[in-house]
Amino acid sequence: MSRATTESLTATGGGRVGDSPQRPDGNLKVRGEFAYSSDLWHEDMLWGATLRSPHPHARIRGLDVGPALAVPGVYAVLTHSDVPGENLYGLEHPDQPVLAGDVVRYQGEPVAIVAADHPETARRAAARVRVDYEVLEPVTDAETALRADAPVLHPTNPDGNLVRHVRIRHGDPAPAADVVVSGEYTVGMQDQAFLGPESGLAVPAEDGGVDLYVATQWLHADQRQVARALGLPAERVRLHLAGVGGAFGAREDLSMQVHACMLALRTGKPVKIVYGREESFFGHVHRHPAVLRYEHGATRDGDLVYVRAEMILDGGAYASTTAAVTGNAATLGAGPYRVPNVHVDCYGVYTNNPPCGAMRGFGAVQACFAYESQMDKLAAALGMSEVDVRVRNAVEQGSVMPTGQVVDSAAPVAELLALVRDRPMPPAPSAPYDLRELPGGVSNTTHGEGVVRGVGYGVGVKNVGFSEGFDDYSTARVRLEVVGGEPVASVHTAAAEVGQGLVTLKAQIARTELGVERVVILPPDTSVGSAGSSSASRQSYVTGGAVRAACEEVRAAVLARAGAGAGLAGGKVVSAGGDVLADLVEVLGGEPVERTVEWRHRPTEALDPSTGKGFAHVQYAFAAHRAVVDVDVELGLVRVVELACAQDVGRAMNPDAVLGQIQGGSAQGLGLAVMEEIQVVDGVVRNPSFTDYLIPTVLDMPTMPIDVLEYADPHAPYGLRGVGEPPTLSSTPAIVAAIRAATGRALTRAPVRPEHIVG
Amino acid sequence: MKDFAYVAAPDVATAVRAAADAPGARFLAGGTNLVDLMRQHVERPDTVVDISRLPLTSVEETKSGGLRIGALMRNSDLAAHPLVRTRYPMLTQALLAGASAQLRNMATVGGNLLQRTRCPYFYDRATPCHKREPGTGCAAVGGFNRSHAILGTSASCVATHPSDMCVALAALDAVVEVEDVRGTRRIPLADLHRLPGDTPHLETTLAPDELITSVELPAPAAAPSRYRKVRDRASFAFALVSVAAALEVTDGTVAAVRLALGGVAPKPWRAVEAERVLTGAPATEESFRAAADAELAPAVTLDGNEFKVELARRTIVATLRDLAREGSRA
Repeated sequence: MSRATTESLTATGGGRVGDSPQRPDGNLKVRGEFAYSSDLWHEDMLWGATLRSPHPHARIRGLDVGPALAVPGVYAVLTHSDVPGENLYGLEHPDQPVLAGDVVRYQGEPVAIVAADHPETARRAAARVRVDYEVLEPVTDAETALRADAPVLHPTNPDGNLVRHVRIRHGDPAPAADVVVSGEYTVGMQDQAFLGPESGLAVPAEDGGVDLYVATQWLHADQRQVARALGLPAERVRLHLAGVGGAFGAREDLSMQVHACMLALRTGKPVKIVYGREESFFGHVHRHPAVLRYEHGATRDGDLVYVRAEMILDGGAYASTTAAVTGNAATLGAGPYRVPNVHVDCYGVYTNNPPCGAMRGFGAVQACFAYESQMDKLAAALGMSEVDVRVRNAVEQGSVMPTGQVVDSAAPVAELLALVRDRPMPPAPSAPYDLRELPGGVSNTTHGEGVVRGVGYGVGVKNVGFSEGFDDYSTARVRLEVVGGEPVASVHTAAAEVGQGLVTLKAQIARTELGVERVVILPPDTSVGSAGSSSASRQSYVTGGAVRAACEEVRAAVLARAGAGAGLAGGKVVSAGGDVLADLVEVLGGEPVERTVEWRHRPTEALDPSTGKGFAHVQYAFAAHRAVVDVDVELGLVRVVELACAQDVGRAMNPDAVLGQIQGGSAQGLGLAVMEEIQVVDGVVRNPSFTDYLIPTVLDMPTMPIDVLEYADPHAPYGLRGVGEPPTLSSTPAIVAAIRAATGRALTRAPVRPEHIVG
Repeated sequence: MKDFAYVAAPDVATAVRAAADAPGARFLAGGTNLVDLMRQHVERPDTVVDISRLPLTSVEETKSGGLRIGALMRNSDLAAHPLVRTRYPMLTQALLAGASAQLRNMATVGGNLLQRTRCPYFYDRATPCHKREPGTGCAAVGGFNRSHAILGTSASCVATHPSDMCVALAALDAVVEVEDVRGTRRIPLADLHRLPGDTPHLETTLAPDELITSVELPAPAAAPSRYRKVRDRASFAFALVSVAAALEVTDGTVAAVRLALGGVAPKPWRAVEAERVLTGAPATEESFRAAADAELAPAVTLDGNEFKVELARRTIVATLRDLAREGSRA
């Protein structure tokens, strides 16, 4: 069995909190030697394949697996009737079948699964399953879906096709303003575009259970859902994290997990499933496409008086995390601004489009594009600069958000805006031109002529951690013992390393708290308690908090055993003054100290259903961008010349990792601004490949000057603030604003393409 | 992928014989397009004749001052070839504008000539497509057709020819040399690709067992030339519109012009009408615009690709303007 991935991550270098030690997985990934979940292998294993619905909406009148079973090399062909437990799963509420029963609700919905001795055999056999579909008219427009006469896609849902309606009612319901601007904005369906397709290996166990090695964001959420579908107690469904090739929200929902386990349990053999690239587009949820209608009112001096917004988020066929995304879009929908009167209606809706759920930014991205576009419009109406109108209204510590929640730690929004504004401008292109620096790049379009520069700003607010009263916790087991004459700490959590660098960070925390050099990071699995999801920019905060808390308990126990001392440093028990009192090796002797801690951030509250009031978010995080673009206005080509970002991270736990997150998040925002969109026509995806779904390449990414602020949040471990998502929010509106500035076009839709500039 | 018989051909004679003996056989060169299509079950040959080892990789000067390019020359090698770079810069530019470095390292000249469309419906076997399955219909007309053609289309098919290289070859008056068991023949590039008409599945005038062995370029013109490509990102994307052009200006008048378009038609589109308007006309912005308008006058647009008319007009004008400026400097 190939286990290089997780074991290789136990290699450790030095580095404490605030350092940037080298990632243990870094060299392996750069050299192409890192073992991803798609590299898993087991002797005698079978390969699974999935038959998917070609129709976005159809009734299944009949299923015949006979022709598939007849293919030599096939071991099992399973359908909904073979699901041992409940044929339903879902992160928030289970509404999605493991395998479709009488109806399919989106193109690509799994209908049958096959295990065979070769992946090609499995695929061919799957294609032979006969499915008799009665094709139904798909509901593909979210607003149409909300109409009373629309077909109801989930008859058991009491609200028809409405997944959730969040109302925010703050201040005066009928405020008057001197200056009013309004607009309708659209955000296309973005894909997370991770590079490692959905994959995993299920190994049947002697106790009738199963071990599943899988790339995921949240082992325990998978475990809970898989066990329920298999009809097994959770302890017999053991999950182990395999090498994750990117996540960005797309691995929060189940994909092949239950399927591989069903096939393994049925055949008694290990079963591996790896999605192909095209299949992967159907294997995970996407970012909700959105229509957002906004009205902003302000005084003549530029003080915001009110924000009214109606947002419609297309959740697609199944709920996934649509309810939480709707909550985020609504509660953060006025942006990082002080607005006395806010009226928001945000709707998450079922359609027959691909299911949408978590993606970096999680509802805040769509809202940010709209409210930042509005702020620019307001600035123009007021004759103010875009930065001035933002700074004038920027939230600060002590401000009240539309939910009534007080911003109770640093909120340096004005400072972030000033930082990006005050950076020197990149020089205008001049001869001799480097084509790579011009719109169109090396495609030999403009050689400098017809290029117009534009500058745009964006700032956003994102919540960190799970919100609205969710019991958001993580578990860490820390052990301190003597190995080979040296004190060694081992850290065990179930937190998924998805590329963000958590493996490095956990070791940094253990070194800092326990004063040892050698730290072993154990592979994440479900033999330790849940760590929650690697999403919502939360793992440094929550799992970081759990690791620190466990280390503190271990340290206290060691000090108690030593009978003296105030701390651990350099492998010694030391006094408050730093005097060495005892050698840690001697204090530990042959008896390890181990503590397991379940750690929670302070609780949040549910929103009041009629007013949207409540302490919903444990932490706010802010980032600002200034985008400088050069546009070939003749051919509609855009070159983002520079994307400056400033972000408050509370404490840069690992400065290199912080910069990496900001660069990556900004790049994903750039993708949404100028190219990324899943094209769905009548419920059918028309570009499920990286040939047709375009993401930025190295030639599309500009220089990124970055300012990192560190205003400690007193409520958070080490004062840190979640980093991963905020830069994804403001990057998109800043770039689109810059294109507007260069072209004079209204550009109310992301992404912006050549036809929007030329057409 | 469907099972198929595999024949590795040591020489051209064996290759064309194998193809003649197995109707529906496909030649495999770089595999960058065919393998993809086979994996998608769009191409389902019973026999694959592997020609990748044939000695068709040379570039030779012809007696008439042109070049003969072996059909198995890799795109990246051809783009980098000193004689191509210096004498046919437009071709080098077109080649380098295509695909990614990895694909160019595998893709061949012959394969690129026969590259098939990237129309999403051609790839999606769940939809009707006259090109993939004659008689079934065309889903693109009422579907997602932003990338589709505006010139030379028919009710049966609106797919574009995806190649960049071919656009330059069309402008350069290349001639394709082919061979089968009966012998060899030469086909002007303009006659190699067909317009869809009622038979969009017939993309070229080649017989199924004919093998492209080389491409001949006539002696280069002295005029400055250019390949300009407009696409959705800086690299690794198909053309929305591309223009291959060479412009010779004498005393402010267009003495000679070659103009071909990509991304707008089912075949590499030689802009004959624009050339006619331009030849002998003053080399001015007005003439360039008139030429573009004349070429694009018959354009037929769909819901999603209307912008291509204006984009093509602007790209043509910008390219010609560029060349006129360059020519006047020279």
